[in-house]
Amino acid sequence: MRIKAMVSAIVMASVLFTTAWIDVVHASTPYEAYNYNYWEEAVASPAAFVPSRTVGGSDLGIEPFLEPNDMVIAPSGNIYVADTGNKRIVVIRPDWTLERIIDSVEGIGSFGTVSGLYVDEDETLYIADSGLGKLIVLTKNGSVKLIIDNPQSDIIAAGFKFTPTKVAVDDAKRMYVVASGVFEGIMQFDTDGEFLGYIGTNEVKRDYYEIIWRLLSTKEQRSQMVLFIPTEFSNLDIDHKGFVYATNIDLNSPTPIKRLNPSGEDVLKRFGYFHVKGDIRFRASVGPSIFIDIKYLGDGIYSALDSNQGRIFTYDAEGNLLFIYGMHANQNGTFKTPVAVEYDGVNQLVLDRAKANIHVFMPTMFGELVLEASRLHYNGYSEEAVPVWQQVLDLNSNYDIAYIGIGRSLVMSKRNEEAIFYFKQGMERDQYSVAYKRYRREEMKEQFGTIMTTIVIAAVMIIGLMIWRKVRSKRQGRTATYSAGRDQAL
Amino acid sequence: MKQELISFPFQVIFKPFSSFWDLKYDNKGSMKASYLLIAFTIIAFILQKQYAGFLVNYTDPRAINSIMDIITVVIPFVLWVVANWSITTLMDGEGKFTEIVKVTAYSLTPIVIVYIPMTFISRYMAQEETAFYYLMLSIASLWFVWLLFVGIMTIHQYTVMKTIVTMVLTIIVMGIIVFLGALVLSMLQQIYDFIYNIYRELLFRT
Repeated sequence: MRIKAMVSAIVMASVLFTTAWIDVVHASTPYEAYNYNYWEEAVASPAAFVPSRTVGGSDLGIEPFLEPNDMVIAPSGNIYVADTGNKRIVVIRPDWTLERIIDSVEGIGSFGTVSGLYVDEDETLYIADSGLGKLIVLTKNGSVKLIIDNPQSDIIAAGFKFTPTKVAVDDAKRMYVVASGVFEGIMQFDTDGEFLGYIGTNEVKRDYYEIIWRLLSTKEQRSQMVLFIPTEFSNLDIDHKGFVYATNIDLNSPTPIKRLNPSGEDVLKRFGYFHVKGDIRFRASVGPSIFIDIKYLGDGIYSALDSNQGRIFTYDAEGNLLFIYGMHANQNGTFKTPVAVEYDGVNQLVLDRAKANIHVFMPTMFGELVLEASRLHYNGYSEEAVPVWQQVLDLNSNYDIAYIGIGRSLVMSKRNEEAIFYFKQGMERDQYSVAYKRYRREEMKEQFGTIMTTIVIAAVMIIGLMIWRKVRSKRQGRTATYSAGRDQAL
Repeated sequence: MKQELISFPFQVIFKPFSSFWDLKYDNKGSMKASYLLIAFTIIAFILQKQYAGFLVNYTDPRAINSIMDIITVVIPFVLWVVANWSITTLMDGEGKFTEIVKVTAYSLTPIVIVYIPMTFISRYMAQEETAFYYLMLSIASLWFVWLLFVGIMTIHQYTVMKTIVTMVLTIIVMGIIVFLGALVLSMLQQIYDFIYNIYRELLFRT
């Protein structure tokens, strides 16, 4: 009896302690991670990123941030925060210690409203100051390299007020500037600050309802109506090829994210199940995703920040939605007014204007695997991606992109029958068709002998049967005359 | 008799004019065959949803419901027959109710004989060949409409124009019947609620 009690006590204790231990290790998220399946339903998914820490001004030993507006990570790893309310730029080292504070520029004085930042490989800092209406370029040691405050060109209207809000720079040091009140697109400047032109105009779409309404209204009414003007871009980033990823706040547009080539055409690949537009299902009262920042993570992968619901959507090079995380709330790791998303190669950082801090999100095993597999796939190592996709499927068996990824690799290695299974799991019809056609041809080749034999035997049998029936009917016709009479009657 | 059960539908689809004439005046075709054809149509739709090839099957497997398939065939069928009978009675049609049932059911033959084989052929199709699948399905549907048209024209002894008008009117009447049905149902619901509320009120008062 006593032994029994002791054993049960030990068992109970072990169960108790192990569960407690699991709870400690198990990283929970304040938000529910999900993704969309083929049927456009939001289904639960493992979180790809979990909050790891939150850093504010006081953690760095300085005055807290006040309404920071932008954040950028330099190739060196330094984090630049546009602390707009305090009229300063805070530079943080990768180990979260303060590097320096930039609060004034020689020849200009203090900043107005710093709304956009960019840093290139030479640690040259590009500051879009919408308050001063200037684009300031500072070298690494803090001296002014260039100031653009009044771009001149034939295509810029007289009296144009330059209000840069966001900036990005490509490898050739061309500057791409989103300026408020500019509907022609993104302003492009060369190294010397010469205005080159606009790229990537957002098109104006008029729906039929508006056209009919306009036809029916009088001139006075028409003059009172809202003008059809293209929407402005909200933010931008540059990828390694020098293509511009830009977001715009065009509600209900299927293309709020664009990838602009040097001539300004949208070349974003959209081969996923649905539009690259963030949430595809949302309550009418909540509205669609509104993208206010975008970050290129390398290898065709990009993350876009939705300010409407505080979510970060990450897509791969082909426009597949990889994962979604984040939400509006008050807990740690949730946002109030997220304004910028960054990526330091491992973690994702989100700057929150209202909470005045930086949220650091670290990837989970799931997130790491998905990113790794996408990178391998993008670089053409689809065979190497297979074991990684398999691991992803172990963690989330609803992950369609993994099935498709495995299927593609199988097709390449001519294992068509298995590929068919994976494409079917991933609901990928085009690829399925390719694999199926090959499989069918192989089977036909293999079974050719059997098929032909069957056909020949069947033909012989049918012919034989016909001859036999003819012979029999002749014989019957000779013996029974009344049946011939019946035949004539019919 | 047995043979006619199978051969007459085939006769109908290839020679609709003379066959429907026979149906009306030679009392060919049977109600039994009509019910069977409706059953086969339902089976064809169910099979199509369940077994059509992956490339042409956009049905969510979780949404497959055979009861719904039965309803989506039987309800329009009954509505069509009732509506057509109502209209043609007013418009000097010579067809009897059973004839309308038979004609409509026999017109479904092409759907049965095209859908069921195509469902199984579609499993061995690649993307480019699916066009053929859709072509065959469209042909079956058009064929069905053609047979229905000829059948209605023959059994009511109408002209072409009058048949078209009747068919359009029949569809409108089907809508009206559905509307009235919904109206009656919602009224009954209201009455039930009303009585139930009174009952509850009395229950709580005492």
